[in-house]
Amino acid sequence: MKKLKIAFLLFIIPFSLFTLFTGCAKKEDTIKIGVAGPMTGDQAKMGTDLKNGVELAVSEWNEKGGVLGKKIELFVEDDQHDPKLAVTVANKLSNSGAAGVIGHWNSSASIPASEVYKDRGNIPMITPASTNPQLTERGFENVFRVCGRDDQQGKIAAEFVAKNLKIKKVAIIHDKTTYGQGLADEFKKALVNETEVVYYGVVIQGDKDFRAVLTSIKDKKPALIYFGGIYPEAGLLVKQAKELGIKAPFMSGDGTIDKEFIKIAGKENAEGTYLTFSPDPLKIPAAKSFLDKYHAKYGEHGPYSIYAYDAANILLTGISKAGAIDGKKVRDAIHILAYDGALGTVQFDKKGDVLKAPYIVWVTKDGEFKEFKQTTSD
Amino acid sequence: MFIQQIINGLTLGSVYALIALGYTMVYGILQLINFAHGEIYMIGAYMAVIALGVLTATGLTAVNLPLSIFLVFIISGLFCGAYGLTLERIAYRPLRHAHRLSPLISAIGMSIFLQNYVMLTQDTVDKVFPHIIPATGLELAGASISYLQIFILAASFILMTALHLFIKKTRLGKAMRATSQDSRMASLVGINVDSVIAVTFVIGSILAAAAGVMVAMYYGSVNFFIGYSAGIKAFTAAVLGGIGNIPGAMLGGLLLGLVEGLGASYISSEYKDVFAFLILILVLIFRPTGLLGERVGEKV
Repeated sequence: MKKLKIAFLLFIIPFSLFTLFTGCAKKEDTIKIGVAGPMTGDQAKMGTDLKNGVELAVSEWNEKGGVLGKKIELFVEDDQHDPKLAVTVANKLSNSGAAGVIGHWNSSASIPASEVYKDRGNIPMITPASTNPQLTERGFENVFRVCGRDDQQGKIAAEFVAKNLKIKKVAIIHDKTTYGQGLADEFKKALVNETEVVYYGVVIQGDKDFRAVLTSIKDKKPALIYFGGIYPEAGLLVKQAKELGIKAPFMSGDGTIDKEFIKIAGKENAEGTYLTFSPDPLKIPAAKSFLDKYHAKYGEHGPYSIYAYDAANILLTGISKAGAIDGKKVRDAIHILAYDGALGTVQFDKKGDVLKAPYIVWVTKDGEFKEFKQTTSD
Repeated sequence: MFIQQIINGLTLGSVYALIALGYTMVYGILQLINFAHGEIYMIGAYMAVIALGVLTATGLTAVNLPLSIFLVFIISGLFCGAYGLTLERIAYRPLRHAHRLSPLISAIGMSIFLQNYVMLTQDTVDKVFPHIIPATGLELAGASISYLQIFILAASFILMTALHLFIKKTRLGKAMRATSQDSRMASLVGINVDSVIAVTFVIGSILAAAAGVMVAMYYGSVNFFIGYSAGIKAFTAAVLGGIGNIPGAMLGGLLLGLVEGLGASYISSEYKDVFAFLILILVLIFRPTGLLGERVGEKV
């Protein structure tokens, strides 16, 4: 009999707590903000950076009393950089009444998710990292991005390869994702008449053995290998290329700017690899206070933490300017906003792209990413 | 370039062959496809990363690299052997006399369990194998063969020869052959069938562990998901060579590696994984017993 009582208690306590918590949440009116990105899986590092950046911004707003007189509640969702899951996550956030979403991280997730947000009441979404041009080319007024676009990025990379490095033969690989293929194609398009593309191939995201592709590339003797993709594959490509005796330098886009890339590739193999990204936030004076706070709370910042932080601040400023959590009103408020954030002043054009997106070339030196400096001899 | 692709293919193939041996040995004795075998290989790769991390912390890798790599193999082999033993004990032995499908379902369950167990304990982020093995090698007719590739080929060859001798020459090997031919008859002549089966699982797991360690060194990073695709490909290799047939598994693994390497470079890298499964389908349609398999009729 006693056992039965204990069992009953064990059963009843969690359930009563459960109802207690849901009861609380209903009574206390909050403004809900969604964060979506790859929180688990091989790209989990990026998702965590994204979440931390947004969390920091939200906690600052909450300390000042929230927005529109209500506390802000954060909903973190994991899309595992899977387009199908991104749609599920988008529906889930729409159902929970999110006033706006920061995310997603991957273009392949952001594009299908943005359709859900648009159809479910024009929920504004600000992506800190999806660079595929397609995202803002479909006339969706609720979609914004605080980063640049791949057509800008691919062009800078192509100019650098043709004019600075004076390279005549390149091999291009991509990972078949919206981001990777988009970037590789933009790079290829911008190379026209300048440089010959001797190889154009595909690797599969999640694969670990790229020797077959790299051996074909070695045979074509390119002077540079360009990769459209993310760091787990980029790191292995660099490592395996060096093991096959390929000496051509490696270049990629913003998807590889993470310490994990150097870790996977190995410090000596990563030496001298190029990539395109925006200028170092450590050199932007406005970023200083953000970085100090971020480092105190989470340690080392990721490349996109600062974008996530600014994106969250822009969304919350938009909500407070709109004076309501109505999707259309918030969206229109963000369109006319000129926000002074950690990245400098951010303003959007009609499509939702930032007015100026500075991309520069970075190079890996002594196991660190550094801004590339033109040598005087050139 | 052709030679390079052949070498890459053979390296990959010898790893597939090592894993395929585990499938084929278990099938030979129990007529069971041990779907959790790929996860044992994955755990072997994780153990390599962990063991090397511990050895680096003690400073051994800096003093004596070959010895520490040898120790990594031993540690990983011991752990995986223990996993194999436990797996057989808790997931298959209780179902020994159940319907044929029950142990198969149990195998799939174990596979899902082990994958998620590693994911939860080791995190979902890729683990990086420390860059301690120099990437140098030989140049041969325009192809570069790294010492690591030579090592993988040699080690796989030695392990396969050792296995072959073990099965052909030792008493225990003879008992294994007897059990695979007729387990009831074997038990009547005094062979402890349960312990023979346990030994089969342990040997298969040790070979998978060796494959895991070599892959961790070769690719440079591991995650909890690698057991799935490697397991299915090794299974294909076992079917290609004739499931239940030990030399067949070796041959099947090497052929599969070659087909994958050459197909990815000369036809399309996008379809790399397709080649393996295309072979599986073709073999099942045209030669269900595999290349070296004898006709087993009702056993299949």
